[in-house]
Amino acid sequence: MTQLTQGYPISSLVREDGEALSFKVHRSAYRSEEVFQAEISRIWGHTWLYLGHETEIPKPGDFKTRTLGGRPLIFCRDSSGEVQVFLNACTHRGTVLCRHSEGNAKFFQCFYHAWVFSNSGDLSALPGDDAYVDVPEFREAMRLRSVPRIQSHEGFVFIAFDPDVPDLMTHLGEAAHYMSLTAKIGPAGMETVPGVQLYSVKGNWKLAVENAMDGYHFAPTHNTFVGYLRETGFAVTDDDQYAYDLGGGHGLLILTGHNGRIGMVWEPRFGEAEKERTALKRQEMEDRLGPELAGEVADASRILFVFPNLLLFDLEALTIRQLDPVSAGQTNVRAWQFVETDEPAEVRALRIKTMVSFVGPGGLATPDDIEAYEAVQRGIEATANAADPAFDWSDMSRGMANEQKGNQGRSIDEGAMRSFWRHWATVVGQD
Amino acid sequence: MDGKKSKESAVGGRTITRHEVEDFLYREASLLDEWRLDEWFTLFEEGGRMEVATTDWKGWDSSSAGSFMCDDYDLIKARVKRLKSRKAHAENPHSRTHRMISNVLILEQGDKTVWVSANFIIHRYRDGGTYSYVGRYEHVLLIEDEGLRFRFRRSIPTMEAMDAGARLSFIL
Repeated sequence: MTQLTQGYPISSLVREDGEALSFKVHRSAYRSEEVFQAEISRIWGHTWLYLGHETEIPKPGDFKTRTLGGRPLIFCRDSSGEVQVFLNACTHRGTVLCRHSEGNAKFFQCFYHAWVFSNSGDLSALPGDDAYVDVPEFREAMRLRSVPRIQSHEGFVFIAFDPDVPDLMTHLGEAAHYMSLTAKIGPAGMETVPGVQLYSVKGNWKLAVENAMDGYHFAPTHNTFVGYLRETGFAVTDDDQYAYDLGGGHGLLILTGHNGRIGMVWEPRFGEAEKERTALKRQEMEDRLGPELAGEVADASRILFVFPNLLLFDLEALTIRQLDPVSAGQTNVRAWQFVETDEPAEVRALRIKTMVSFVGPGGLATPDDIEAYEAVQRGIEATANAADPAFDWSDMSRGMANEQKGNQGRSIDEGAMRSFWRHWATVVGQD
Repeated sequence: MDGKKSKESAVGGRTITRHEVEDFLYREASLLDEWRLDEWFTLFEEGGRMEVATTDWKGWDSSSAGSFMCDDYDLIKARVKRLKSRKAHAENPHSRTHRMISNVLILEQGDKTVWVSANFIIHRYRDGGTYSYVGRYEHVLLIEDEGLRFRFRRSIPTMEAMDAGARLSFIL
């Protein structure tokens, strides 16, 4: 199957030339609805997707509804405590079964014909069942549909709409380790808290991925945020910070000079009380994890991208960000604060204030990232010109020469973006 | 505490009328629409705070749950400084905003503060896009002889989510 996007098959949208040290992505990859449909089918239809965290639904009966890859879903904990993920459509005629965004329920009743499903998917009430033959068999056949695959790692719940995907741990590969590092920060574990940022950007989902894996933009784009940190007594540096290709399209930036880490690496804006607590917490982490692992967990900030839709920001504090593409030019975003279970109230308050001041559509930094995605999405219309097509490519060659010498790619180069696009090309770009 | 009791209080707080609250909120709205941010910042008492709740807000405090903004006084100051900079790319050029405020209520009056609510609709225009932010304010205002000031300014969006492009790069 060859799909053409302004003259280019999808398989030729990523052009890498190692000899010429050239790496280019055709801009139709961000613009074209054909490419978008190919992504929904080949990525969202056949890859593990991040759905949510187990701590969003802590008690039996807790549920959240959300859409992923265009499909309305129910994410719930059934009465026996098992995490379930159902297609949010009545098996009878397809009505959205649960129209609430969250709650606690033993049963979901469809308003249309009053069919009732338990929170483990049984069809437990079928009004007027005398009109059906072999009611037990019919009820069994009309159970609420689960998504084909559900697995979790460190409480992060992933789903796949394709029953034949390899196991989650195979998909996560090296990324699993970095999720585990973050999960070890709190002695009593980690959890999401309410107060979820729901917003939407007028940009292709891959621009959000690139932006998170791109340390080159940090200093110019976040000039005002860097200035704010300087005034609080912290000097940001990009020196000696690196990007890692974790395989499978997953990427990682390890950042030592961008910020402190609450409870782990102190900086002046956290205050004097936190300075003392940081020393105590580091000792607790060393006792619990050993000095080497404690250092790996605590010393450096990390931005982890798990292909295709999870960004885990383990920085001053922690944010889980989920991408849910709507169209080639629009992406819905959900972001949760991720905190240490049972931490002192004043630390929780500091953590949330600090993270919200940086990350999110009302922060001092993220709005400028959103400005960047949206300005790219508008700007790439300028070069879409079949009569003069040469300029319709984005360049991602920064740091290739250094990489070819065998050096670890710097966070301020574009290696993590290249590894994402190489994987994207193998998944989406098969003609 | 009701208005009558506060009037009789030993501290001698004065009774605030809805008219005075409306004047305060309208003046704030025009300062923000005109991007007169230094003047806007003086509407806060020292140590004042500002929050913008997320759309799933159920009355919780931003010290225990996520929010869109939870600025202490220093962060409000930093935000003003940032928004005045040409390097605040998300607001350079500035969005055009147009604020409508109505349904002003005095919820409770004390000696030193008054708790008020109001509805807002803010239309924002930028880059060919039009965005409507609909919600409610719930503020705690400090009563001073010369007027009112923010002790705590909270915006509570009514929308289910921020629409495509409807970021919060400005003051909601």
